[in-house]
Amino acid sequence: MNLAAHENAPASAGGFGNRMRGLLSVSELGVFVAVVAISLIFYAIAPAFLSAQNIRAIINFVSFVGIIAIGQTILMIGGEFDLSVGSIAGLSACVTAMLMKDAHLPIFAAIIGGLALGAVIGLVNGIVVVKLKIPAFIQTLGMLFIGQGLIQVVTGGNPVYPLPESVGDFGATRVFFGLGYSFVFFFIAGFIADFVLRRTVLGRNLYATGGNAEVARLVGINASLYKICAFVFVSVMASISGMFVMADLASGITSIGTGWELTVIAGVVVGGVSLFGGAGTIIGGLLGMLLLQVIQSGLVVIGVGANWQQIAVGTIMVLAVGLDLLRRRVFIGAHSKPTGGTGGAVATTEQPTLPANAN
Amino acid sequence: MMSEETAIRTIGIVKSFAGVQALRGVDLAVRRGEIHALLGQNGAGKSTLVKILNGVHRAGSYTGTILLGDKDVTFKSPLEARAEGVGYVPQEIEILEQLTVAENVFAGQMGLGRGLMVHRRTINQRTEAIFAEMGLSIDPRSLVAMLTAAQRHLVMIARALSMRPKVLMLDEPTASLSGTEVDQLFAMLRRLRANGTTMIYITHRLPEVIALCDRATILRDGRVVAEIDRAEFNEERIIYAMSGQKLQRLYPHHEAPANSDVLLRVRKLSVPGRFGVNRGVSEVNFDVRAGEIVGLAGLLGSGRTEILHAIYGRIPFSGDVSVAHHAKSVRTTSEARAAGIALLTEDRKRDGLLFNLPVGGNITIGNLQKFAHHDIISRSSEKKAILEAMRALNVKARSPQSSVAHLSGGNQQKLLFARVLMNGPRILLLDEPTKGVDASTRHEIYRLIVELADKGVALIVVASELEEVIGLADRCLVVADGRIVDEFKRGACDEERVLRSIASAQAAIASGAQMETNIGVCA
Repeated sequence: MNLAAHENAPASAGGFGNRMRGLLSVSELGVFVAVVAISLIFYAIAPAFLSAQNIRAIINFVSFVGIIAIGQTILMIGGEFDLSVGSIAGLSACVTAMLMKDAHLPIFAAIIGGLALGAVIGLVNGIVVVKLKIPAFIQTLGMLFIGQGLIQVVTGGNPVYPLPESVGDFGATRVFFGLGYSFVFFFIAGFIADFVLRRTVLGRNLYATGGNAEVARLVGINASLYKICAFVFVSVMASISGMFVMADLASGITSIGTGWELTVIAGVVVGGVSLFGGAGTIIGGLLGMLLLQVIQSGLVVIGVGANWQQIAVGTIMVLAVGLDLLRRRVFIGAHSKPTGGTGGAVATTEQPTLPANAN
Repeated sequence: MMSEETAIRTIGIVKSFAGVQALRGVDLAVRRGEIHALLGQNGAGKSTLVKILNGVHRAGSYTGTILLGDKDVTFKSPLEARAEGVGYVPQEIEILEQLTVAENVFAGQMGLGRGLMVHRRTINQRTEAIFAEMGLSIDPRSLVAMLTAAQRHLVMIARALSMRPKVLMLDEPTASLSGTEVDQLFAMLRRLRANGTTMIYITHRLPEVIALCDRATILRDGRVVAEIDRAEFNEERIIYAMSGQKLQRLYPHHEAPANSDVLLRVRKLSVPGRFGVNRGVSEVNFDVRAGEIVGLAGLLGSGRTEILHAIYGRIPFSGDVSVAHHAKSVRTTSEARAAGIALLTEDRKRDGLLFNLPVGGNITIGNLQKFAHHDIISRSSEKKAILEAMRALNVKARSPQSSVAHLSGGNQQKLLFARVLMNGPRILLLDEPTKGVDASTRHEIYRLIVELADKGVALIVVASELEEVIGLADRCLVVADGRIVDEFKRGACDEERVLRSIASAQAAIASGAQMETNIGVCA
């Protein structure tokens, strides 16, 4: 008896990984096609859109916010989200810069200091949300304001510069195609995160935690620990992103990270990462980030005003989530709203099943 | 048929999903003023038929005719079905906790002709009138949050009745009720029948059909396979019609080994009660031996579920839970799992299935280390284990990649069994192992329980149906108000004795303290 024979997803070994791809390839592929199609439309209107310079600019920005998006995707799969990532990026960048310039710490030590700050903020977010049961929305929104306030308090509102020359040099280094170390880090981190989610026990347990934390606990997964670690991870990633921007600008500027929390969440949601936890992939989340950036950049290139860009991003986010919900309802079933029916919903679409063979 | 008035009737209903026929020409006729049972296994087409009758599957998505009285009706939405006179009480409690009872009864039809304003006095009075008809004594002004699960169910029935339905459909109304609550519900339904209400009663539980219903229509594979009058009711015959095969014996034979080792020792186990929900557990002591099936018999809220959850470390408790060959006593879920304890929870949707993972992922979750080297899952060995588990437990799914949402209740339950058995537990705690599964899966599960006991697993079974606990268990512990009040060996116990010992224990407590709230039915 071959159980896989009826499966319409591409046949190969691998139960879960295949399934997730089978489910999500629809949205990933959809986002990818949208990226290509929209790029071509902008190219037709304004060929400058696909100039090396513009592509480089898009990829550079996607690298910065994408580093955070990797963390946010992992946190959202675990069933929570973090609105304070922009503040954390800015605060870590400014603090790291001050540790170098004002405290005269070695660069390495300053970076450790910035990362530790990020980790502590993430730990606070995680413990408050998981242990004190304050909703993530409230806790991280609060942390967003606290972070912005702290940036102004520690810097006095002034940019922190000059930084040691080697920092600026690092930020200006171009590894290939005019892309810097931020892209290299982004690419490697994305690759590892994707592998962890797809292939490891850690990743699968995270999906279970986001799907239903109580079930996860019952099967012996420390759901609270997973969530807290995910909060710490996204915070550390935000700190790293902030430091890359700092190096790029060769100074600690108070506006680093401002508004990124929504850029990141909008992007990964467009890419199919569920706001309700338990679903999504790194590739999807990052393609979503790319799509939003392509649209924003394209609108600039063809000369549409900045305000219209925001309107476009907002509309696309709502459309993407709407399409996703529709797709789930059609292809997966109505489980996303467990109270919505007769309780017998499960039986009706059962297919002619396998031959019984146990007795 | 011609002599009797028909309240609702379907003629040749055919409905397909993605090319698969769920209903293949169903003729159902329900006479006015009767309680008509609609029976069938999961997947037989019961819920599809119900969804057509209450407008969830809209007119046009099926072929065939629905006659309500003499009138040819088509429903485009549940709202329209309700307005035309088809009332529906879903299995799950759908209720607005922060509103009053009356507001819940009239949810969706508030204002009652006075614009946007809620006219409290009117809805309170009308709710009182409906409750009087049902024989209930719940205050319409009280908050639903204060009611028990059984009372909430009655409020939902009142909600359906508030629309003056010509036909009332009840979907597994006893699923979350305990024995006495069921009796009280039945008293109420009989009263409604006496007042002329026509009802369609959907259930898995045959004794209820025999006790309550006037006629039964049995579906199998999307067809009506039998229509039986009350005079011809007989459990064997109904099971035969539902399954198409004769079930030889309801409970497989099992004898506990005479002097096997004690695997689980529970001493002075206490759990604090939750106000208004239960009284907790106080100082419970018992042992379970290898190969023994111990049943916890008791009513809903007696503490039987809390005992299981405490042993598994899911809720905080005081006292001592120790496992043979395991030095430390068990306090947390991970310690319990390490000691070889596994728990099958009662509510598949709430704390069983992971709807974001496919069938395979649902089976292996929690035991992935078995298929992993350095934390990286080996896809091939995971898949092999999934297929083996699906085969061993006869989980019918298209593939390990299928969604669990589409499985029938019975297959979902077998899948969860596969999950808890994956770790090879020595002590297995089963909370309502056959809740919401069809008759033949129920039998498969009974056989599985006995097989596990034969292999030396120690089992504790909790079930609302006393008959099931008694039929399965080698030894029955009777739980009432958080204490073990009696103990019987197999053969020495029947339902009557269990109920009598619960009643006498409760009477003893009631004489000292205020009794827990009654369901609210005036006899």
